[in-house]
Amino acid sequence: MLGYIIKRALYMVPTLVLTSILIFTLIELPPGDYFESYITELLASGETVDPQKIEFLRQEYGFDLPAYERYFKWAFGLLQGDLGYSFEYQLPVSDVIGDRLWLTIIVTFFTIIFTWAIAFPIGIYSATRQYSWGDYGLTFLGLLGLATPNFLLALVMMYFAKEWFGTSIGGLYDSEYIGQPMSWGKFLSVLEHLWIPVIVIGTSGTAGMIRRVRANLLDELRKPYVTTARAKGMPEFRALMKYPFRMSLNFFIADIGGILPQVISGAEIVAIVLSLQTTGPLLITALQSQDMYLAGSFLMLLAFLTVIGTLISDIALAFLDPRIRLAGGVSR
Amino acid sequence: MFASNWKWLRGFAAGVVFTLVAPLGLVPAGTQALAGEAPELAKLVEEGKLPPLAERLPKHPFVVDMAAENKEIGKYGGSLKLLMGSVKDLGQITVYTYARLVGYGPDIEIKPDILESYDSVDDKEFTFHIREGHKWNDGQPFTAEDFRYFWEDMVKDPELGREGVPQEMLVDGEEPKFEVIDPLTVRYSWSKPNPAFLIALAAPAPLYIYRPAHYMKQFHAKYADKAKLDEMVAAAKADSWTALHTRMQRQRRPENPDLPSLQAWYNSTPSPSERYVWARNPYFHRVDTDGNQLPYINEIVMDIVSDEVIAAKTGGGESDLQARYIRFDNFTFLKEAEEKHGFHTYLWSTGKGSQVALFPNLNAQDTVWRGLMRDVRFRRALSLAIDRDEINEVIYFGLASPSANTVMPESPLFKEEYKDAWSVRDLDKANQLLDEAGLGARDSDGVRLLPTGQRAEITVESSGESTEETDVLELIADHWSQVGIKMFVRASQRDIFRRRAYNGETLMSVFSGMDNAIANSEMSPQEMAPTSQPQLQWPKWGEYHDSKGKSGEPVDMPEAQAQLDRYNAWLLAGTKAEKRAIWQEMLHTYTDQVFTIGTVNNSRQPVVVSSKLRNVPEEAIYTWDPTAFFGVYRPDTFWFAE
Repeated sequence: MLGYIIKRALYMVPTLVLTSILIFTLIELPPGDYFESYITELLASGETVDPQKIEFLRQEYGFDLPAYERYFKWAFGLLQGDLGYSFEYQLPVSDVIGDRLWLTIIVTFFTIIFTWAIAFPIGIYSATRQYSWGDYGLTFLGLLGLATPNFLLALVMMYFAKEWFGTSIGGLYDSEYIGQPMSWGKFLSVLEHLWIPVIVIGTSGTAGMIRRVRANLLDELRKPYVTTARAKGMPEFRALMKYPFRMSLNFFIADIGGILPQVISGAEIVAIVLSLQTTGPLLITALQSQDMYLAGSFLMLLAFLTVIGTLISDIALAFLDPRIRLAGGVSR
Repeated sequence: MFASNWKWLRGFAAGVVFTLVAPLGLVPAGTQALAGEAPELAKLVEEGKLPPLAERLPKHPFVVDMAAENKEIGKYGGSLKLLMGSVKDLGQITVYTYARLVGYGPDIEIKPDILESYDSVDDKEFTFHIREGHKWNDGQPFTAEDFRYFWEDMVKDPELGREGVPQEMLVDGEEPKFEVIDPLTVRYSWSKPNPAFLIALAAPAPLYIYRPAHYMKQFHAKYADKAKLDEMVAAAKADSWTALHTRMQRQRRPENPDLPSLQAWYNSTPSPSERYVWARNPYFHRVDTDGNQLPYINEIVMDIVSDEVIAAKTGGGESDLQARYIRFDNFTFLKEAEEKHGFHTYLWSTGKGSQVALFPNLNAQDTVWRGLMRDVRFRRALSLAIDRDEINEVIYFGLASPSANTVMPESPLFKEEYKDAWSVRDLDKANQLLDEAGLGARDSDGVRLLPTGQRAEITVESSGESTEETDVLELIADHWSQVGIKMFVRASQRDIFRRRAYNGETLMSVFSGMDNAIANSEMSPQEMAPTSQPQLQWPKWGEYHDSKGKSGEPVDMPEAQAQLDRYNAWLLAGTKAEKRAIWQEMLHTYTDQVFTIGTVNNSRQPVVVSSKLRNVPEEAIYTWDPTAFFGVYRPDTFWFAE
């Protein structure tokens, strides 16, 4: 097992190097750079730009260097924990991302809990009462959540929250708490705003989760050992929970790999519509304005977490499901 | 000394944030004129933390003529909430609050503002007189040294100077001669006239020719202790001292809260943040007619939110003064919410030559199309075919005015003939002109054929940002099909849109028209001559002018060359009358030649104003240049009634 983990950890290195090259190339690919999109933005608002000044800025930020040199500068910076400099914010990237990270984690954490709390009971119910009215009805509700455009739901809910409860529109807390340290009042304000993004983002995830729980559980329920258990008179609930349900969770553990990066990136589009102070909108605007170190470093962070997450879920699966064998004949 | 000064200022700023209007109710209205300063500042003076008002104001402050500007004397207090869409919008504050060396007032005339006065000799020699006793917001004097620092230690510094001399300070490549006459007088002179100089100083994004020398010197290798400077550079993770210097001195986007300021409010919030608080400058140089120091409002609170929710938030009463990110189609929604959330929605006029204008690319790569675009008959026909009344009714509720892309009636240069030049619908004339231009043949669908036999199909490219453009184009497509021209719209993305137009891949683009449609003859007519690459009707000629012949293409069309010659003549013109004559000629040619095809101008911008906020004009012009959005209406004179 230890050998397996070491081997997997070593695989991560070339994967990440490759990812970093890919990210850098993709961000470089569109014509122009941050300064060019900055100029067009100024023009859009009627301002004029001194081309000489832009040229100076390009040199100042090392944009006159060839792409590979800039790549190495960035990559070595990353190795030393330096995420680079954001042109748009005129600040080091770590300062820009810092504050938003924990808010993103809160939103995602609650969203995941919400999704599970809804999806598991419904999934189990639908599997055990396949093709019943309840199954159809609940599945329909889940699919409705998936089919409703998130941004639309977000707008509608924001409007009614304002009309009915007087919740200020957008954001994760009332604006007077911006820049304030955490306090009871701020916490309450976060709770007051949090339910909208949680429901909006959550509803889109539940449908998928319900179907997967249902399908996996159905597979298990048809197996002979369940029949045997029932034949031996095991209570229905215990016969469900003891093995079939636990077996159906395989996919769920495999999902952990995907959850880690999701926790810090959040739902980007919804976050923009809801004006959440999370990292999602940051990434999108950075990509739009070609603020390359902000976008690149953040994507690298996501890539790193994905790789770690995959490793964790593989290890967890190997521990939890004895049927899974480690390849290559390493220690069992 | 400076550091200790600064500390209490910061403390004061934080104090103001939480005390707001409450104490105001106790001050009887009659004592306001005598007090002459905000109660919060008076208290600091009493406690000995701030020098008395007389020492803070310049000897001769700038007196805002409240009666002439139709304003009432206000009361102190309150905080003005604004919404912005990104950190880049921090720069909007320097536009909104608009204190300049010389600046425009509501009458759009350049007058001394921060300066006490200036003398100009034939636009060649400018002598600036600084107000005696004028101070930065940290209490340090504002003197000729601050001008000298910018010119000698920044522009002429071997390392910082790599940025070069600002364009507006170059006349045919010639740098100004800079002299310090005495501590309160500086002079810039050129051998040829530089009429663009004062305009640049008064611009919404102005040329800053001064810096707070006393503060900046600590970041300059020439003055600072090397070890200490290196330490600061390392702490700020900057690459060099020049990078740090550039970062700390930013005037346009003042995110450095320690940077001394001359504006009415200064930034008191370090970045990054989602809320920036701009605190009152206790040394601000303007007073009202009764001698009360401005600004009236204690602080500006600027929340940065996603621009998608700004209209909704404004409608929910979460902004006291909002026009940015509010579109005309939000108007009905805002109007409905007015009463419930306590605000007014004014409709200001937009100051563009044309709300939506078409730019035939005279530098198109396709030779057949380029020939047509350069044929004035073709351009005139396309303009004549447009039904501007329909556009006005359908898209702008009839509130705009059909016009060619030219100045508006508010401009002293306005003439009916410019507005109506080839802009009154006449299908017969349009058809006749198109026939004459060699597009007489039509196919079975009634679409005209090019001399090469292809269908006359024009693709109009847009930057893909506004649905308004697309809506207008849809109507124009219909109008043009009536004269046998087929139009397609291609929405792309800002950068790509520009790039394609510059390369000549675009046949025609859509964008907003003249930026300054309320111009007077003192302002630059450069928009009507091929002078810069962003001009979508002749980007390559503009690039040629921009780069002084290094790239782009020289103008090879007599009518456009004539405009360029006129522009050059304007630069050298000595008298107002001469300048005016040149402007009139250029306006005439520009509209008669239909270099750009205008639709309607004088359309409306909804401006949401809290019902407590006073002194905001109900009718005004909302535009970037020259009114600096709210700038010339002086937000420092706005005040909150209970």
